[in-house]
Amino acid sequence: MIELLATRWAYATFVFVMVTGLYMMIASPNLVKKVIGLNLFQSAVFLFFVASAYVAGGSPAIVPSEGGGGPYVSPLPHVIVLTAIVVGVSLTAVALALIVRIYREYGTLDESVLREVTDD
Amino acid sequence: MTEIESLRPIAAVLISVAGTLAILASHRRPNLREAVTLVVAAGKFGIVTSMIPGVLAGDVYVWSLGPFVADIAFELRADSLGLLFATLASMLWIITSLYSIGYMRGLEEHGQTRYFASFAMSLSAAVGIAFSPNLIVLYVFYEVLTVATYPLVAHDETDEARAAGRKYLAYTFGGGVAVLAGAVLVYWLTGTVSFSSGGIAELAASDPAFARAAFALLAAGFGVKAGLMPLHSWLPDAMVAPTPVSGLLHAVAVVKSGVFGISRVVLDVFGPETVAELGVGLPLAAVATVTLIAASIIALRKDHLKRRLAYSTVSQLSYIVLGLSILSPDAITGGLLHIPAHAFMKLTLFFCAGIIHVETHTDYISEMAGIGKRMPVTMAAFTIAAAGMAGIPLIAGFVSKFYILVGTVSTGDYVFAVALLVSGVLNIAYFWPVVYQAFFETEDAHDAKPLVEAPLGGESRSILARPDGGRPGDDEAETDAETETETEAEAEPGTATGEDGIDIEDAETDADPGELGRPDFGGETTDRDYSDPAPLVDGEYAVDRNPSDAVIGGADEADERPAAGHEEDTHADTDEHGHDHDHDHHGGPPPGGWERRGWLGGESTWFMLGPILAAMAGSIVLGLVPHAAVFLRLVDDIVASALTLGVLF
Amino acid sequence: MTDVALPLLIAVPILAAVAPLFSSVLGFRAGWYAAAVTTAIEVGLAAVVLAAVYGGDRLVHPVGGYPAPYGIELVGDGLSAPIVALIAAVSLGVVAFAYTGGPRRNSFYSAYLLLVGGLMGVSITGDLFNMFVFLEITGLATYALVAADRSDRSAVAALKYLILGTMGASFFIIGVGYAFISTGTLNMVDLSARLAGSYTARPVLASFGFMIVGLGLKAAVFPLHTWQPDAYTYASDTVTTYISALVSTVAAYAIARVILTVFTLAFFEAAPLARWAVLTFATVSVLAGGVLAVVQTEIKRMLAYSSVSQFGLVVAAFALATPDAVLGGVVHLVGHGLMKGGLFAAAAILAATHGARTVDDYARLGYRSPVVAGTLAVLGLALVGIPPSIGFLGKYYIAVGAVRAGVWPVAIVVFFSTLLTLAYVARLLERLYFADPDAAAPVPEPSPDAPVADGGETEDTDHAGPASGDGGDTRTVRAVSSGMVLVTVLAAVVVVALGFAAPVFETLVEAFLGGVFS
Repeated sequence: MIELLATRWAYATFVFVMVTGLYMMIASPNLVKKVIGLNLFQSAVFLFFVASAYVAGGSPAIVPSEGGGGPYVSPLPHVIVLTAIVVGVSLTAVALALIVRIYREYGTLDESVLREVTDD
Repeated sequence: MTEIESLRPIAAVLISVAGTLAILASHRRPNLREAVTLVVAAGKFGIVTSMIPGVLAGDVYVWSLGPFVADIAFELRADSLGLLFATLASMLWIITSLYSIGYMRGLEEHGQTRYFASFAMSLSAAVGIAFSPNLIVLYVFYEVLTVATYPLVAHDETDEARAAGRKYLAYTFGGGVAVLAGAVLVYWLTGTVSFSSGGIAELAASDPAFARAAFALLAAGFGVKAGLMPLHSWLPDAMVAPTPVSGLLHAVAVVKSGVFGISRVVLDVFGPETVAELGVGLPLAAVATVTLIAASIIALRKDHLKRRLAYSTVSQLSYIVLGLSILSPDAITGGLLHIPAHAFMKLTLFFCAGIIHVETHTDYISEMAGIGKRMPVTMAAFTIAAAGMAGIPLIAGFVSKFYILVGTVSTGDYVFAVALLVSGVLNIAYFWPVVYQAFFETEDAHDAKPLVEAPLGGESRSILARPDGGRPGDDEAETDAETETETEAEAEPGTATGEDGIDIEDAETDADPGELGRPDFGGETTDRDYSDPAPLVDGEYAVDRNPSDAVIGGADEADERPAAGHEEDTHADTDEHGHDHDHDHHGGPPPGGWERRGWLGGESTWFMLGPILAAMAGSIVLGLVPHAAVFLRLVDDIVASALTLGVLF
Repeated sequence: MTDVALPLLIAVPILAAVAPLFSSVLGFRAGWYAAAVTTAIEVGLAAVVLAAVYGGDRLVHPVGGYPAPYGIELVGDGLSAPIVALIAAVSLGVVAFAYTGGPRRNSFYSAYLLLVGGLMGVSITGDLFNMFVFLEITGLATYALVAADRSDRSAVAALKYLILGTMGASFFIIGVGYAFISTGTLNMVDLSARLAGSYTARPVLASFGFMIVGLGLKAAVFPLHTWQPDAYTYASDTVTTYISALVSTVAAYAIARVILTVFTLAFFEAAPLARWAVLTFATVSVLAGGVLAVVQTEIKRMLAYSSVSQFGLVVAAFALATPDAVLGGVVHLVGHGLMKGGLFAAAAILAATHGARTVDDYARLGYRSPVVAGTLAVLGLALVGIPPSIGFLGKYYIAVGAVRAGVWPVAIVVFFSTLLTLAYVARLLERLYFADPDAAAPVPEPSPDAPVADGGETEDTDHAGPASGDGGDTRTVRAVSSGMVLVTVLAAVVVVALGFAAPVFETLVEAFLGGVFS
């Protein structure tokens, strides 16, 4: 267990952050905090990708024209994460816009209050 | 046997689809609408009959659209079995259309466009079923038929009609699903679902357990529409539909599509030989026999004429199934011949019930004493058809039953032979009272019907209207209705308690038989004043119908509430009086007794009398000269081809 | 050269999505025209793809000219072509519907076109990560569209959908990550080759689990469906029509891709538990969705739960993974899109003309709006699986597949689901045609000059209380064009006509099935 944490700490962090985010999404009654949880969750996924691509002592994948160099870090996961970050940001933007509208209409961000107001 | 590419099978199906559209389009002009119905019906019959000579000569008319699902083709094939059903349905549609016009106009029914359109669509589906070359296409039309007949069952738009419609959909779609499941199993076992004379060869060689499961699913699926017990209970409920529907669809097209499906399964999917090898014929025959007897016995107890006919239908359909499942050539011939024979006779009977309803609003047998004076022609036709049902010679029923009987004896299945004979006796037992009281009793002095009206042994009393508008017979009718259903709430005089002065309890109330028929219900109700007008509920004096509901010294409110409540119960549970609601006049003879009408059509319009006589004539022709009528020749043809491969006999 | 149609299918709507925004800046209401032109082009492109695939081709387009394992591939094959055609056709139909049915804001059409592009992208991409991106584009546009209704609850429903949808997408991307770690590639075909032999490795199993759960959330398979009824119910009618027909559909399509193309049948053979797990969830979904649909009183909610049930059927078909079942799944996916879209459109028209939103409100509408009610009846019966209709075809093939695979519980559930569907459809039909005459509440007459601009709001924002918009007194009535009715009727006609198109589907999917079941 200790060894696993020592060698695979990045993955352990990934799981910890992801579960924290998940817990926030489920447990927090505040809508904004839910969105923060969502962001945490996504960040964990980014961490997962970046960690998976890490090569000890590797350099960026800029290969000199004569070849050689290396070892290189796979650039693909980084590209993926960059894209995913963009997606995540736009999602957060939409979510916040919705929250603003909900607050304007109901005057609350508390989920349980909202449920009382909206449920038949 | 040659196959002839022809558009005629599809034309026979599509002509009434086109008719449906034309009927819907002409909804503002009733005369045009009904003209369309008649023209289409005649056209359909023409197309179908035009194929008969060829089919008798051994040809098969085929129309193909190409593959439908997987390698199963969407085709229509007019072979002899299909033509038997198609000819029957299309011929009787003409008769029924005429009758429908008289019936629907006579009652000034609502939704007539919907009615005629659904009717035309149902006939399309029925002919499609007849011409289906494989189980999948058969299933397609089977489901279309269910959908098309649903509006007819729910036609009344009353609670009881909707309940009947729901029940109808649940039962028949359940059956449809079973048919589809069976078809898929057959497809899985053999790689084909096409009908072939003598059965699909691969089925004989496949896993018997799965083959039996497939047979059970198919038989149960078609058995729903064929009214096999215990899947029959939608049929009596569906009698809430207008009478022509009960006549053509619930005695001919719909129920026979179930029987037709079973005959396809027995003859063309499994083949008599495989059915015998799998040993599934006997269980089916046993179910049919139980249905045969049980339905007849239930019919004895029904006071509502249409319901009695419905149970009679359940019973008679089982003759056909029994004939098919005995697996002897004679029995199969008899079973198949009973399809048209029963159709003509039962149509006559239903038409008679309908015309009585239109003319006198009488639905209950116990109110029909002496009705022979009022409706002589009708009751004469009824008598002849009823005699045919019982198997009296010279009428259609005799020929087919004789064949089945010979078949059962020839295979040594004496149990079934005895069952057939017993059922014949029961047939007489439940039809004879109707006939007897119509002609030989009078409204003010007639016997109570044994079994239907307690006490056993009968008593003499009057069904003439009493001064208060009710009549004693009503009480019996009501009580009889209630004995048919097990759960019935009724107020007992002795339990009147509470603020309203009355308390409705679930109780076994079929009060002491000795009390029935007497207005005096014991000490508590002696003061009751029957001439005191009770609140009018749905055009009937509900309190008079149910004197036991009345309260001593009844305040108006207290009077009304239990009476209304009780009436709802009656309707929900027994579905008996639904038809009368639009009319002030309750069933039974008018005050002063039945009017005497002549034998030359004074009793009703020829729109209705004509079809009755035509259907009756058909049943006599089938009985007198079965070979001249085309049906027996078709049947012979079917049996011959089904058995060409069979070495069973 | 026909493979150029593939990138165009995605690029055209996404680029065109900018046009309505620009026209807003300039003060035009050109959104509808931009959407109409774009979706018409999409239909043309989809027809090209469909024709090529029908002719036996497998279209492949390497994006930007980079070859497969490195670059992103777009693929048009027997599985994606029917979905592409469905998306194009429904998109055009809904645009036609929206002309009078509203919403008419430019921003609506921007989101709409974005959604079209996203859906197309999910359907034709051959790259797992790319699929994630398009799923998120689809999701973003859908959240915005759901919230586009001005009613108070649509925003809440949209936020719920957003949180759950993002979670689903994140699960999916975690699954993709595991697959990537195991193989080092993201191209589907490449992945399937490299996964071979290591199916029981834990990362691979985890990858499958994460992907299926994530996509199951998006496809609203029970018990991951909770976002869907709210989203469908509170979105404006036009939006519901569109997303009910397509959004869950492409998620279910993605499940098929993952199972059939990425993991392949060999995976199921190596890890039978995975197959049973999916089958179990799917069958439970069929039953639970059906039962929940039966007990609903609101029409849109009933239809939403019905989707849960039908998607259970589709997922079960793909998990059965026999040629018949997969064909059935594809047919039912297309069929469900058409039927459910048509049903929601018909419901939208009835809501607009009569303010009818609950089953009770439908009393005797069959006589007031015979055409629309008739369409509703036809589509409903098709959904039950009454032949001849595409609804029957799909169920038939799935049933045959289940029987042939010998998976009896699934076979029984498929047959039983017919009755369950019948239970709620029959309820509607009975109300439409056979309700008590007095039960039909008086209906406000449509005012000839009813405001149609910015339609879509049927409930005022100040009705925060319960049952707003449901009661007879708050019924609002809007104008309905004959074009809307025509689109709905067309859907019904197509649904019935496709009931005879089994050979066409077989030819389309044949080559794909040949590849999978070789």
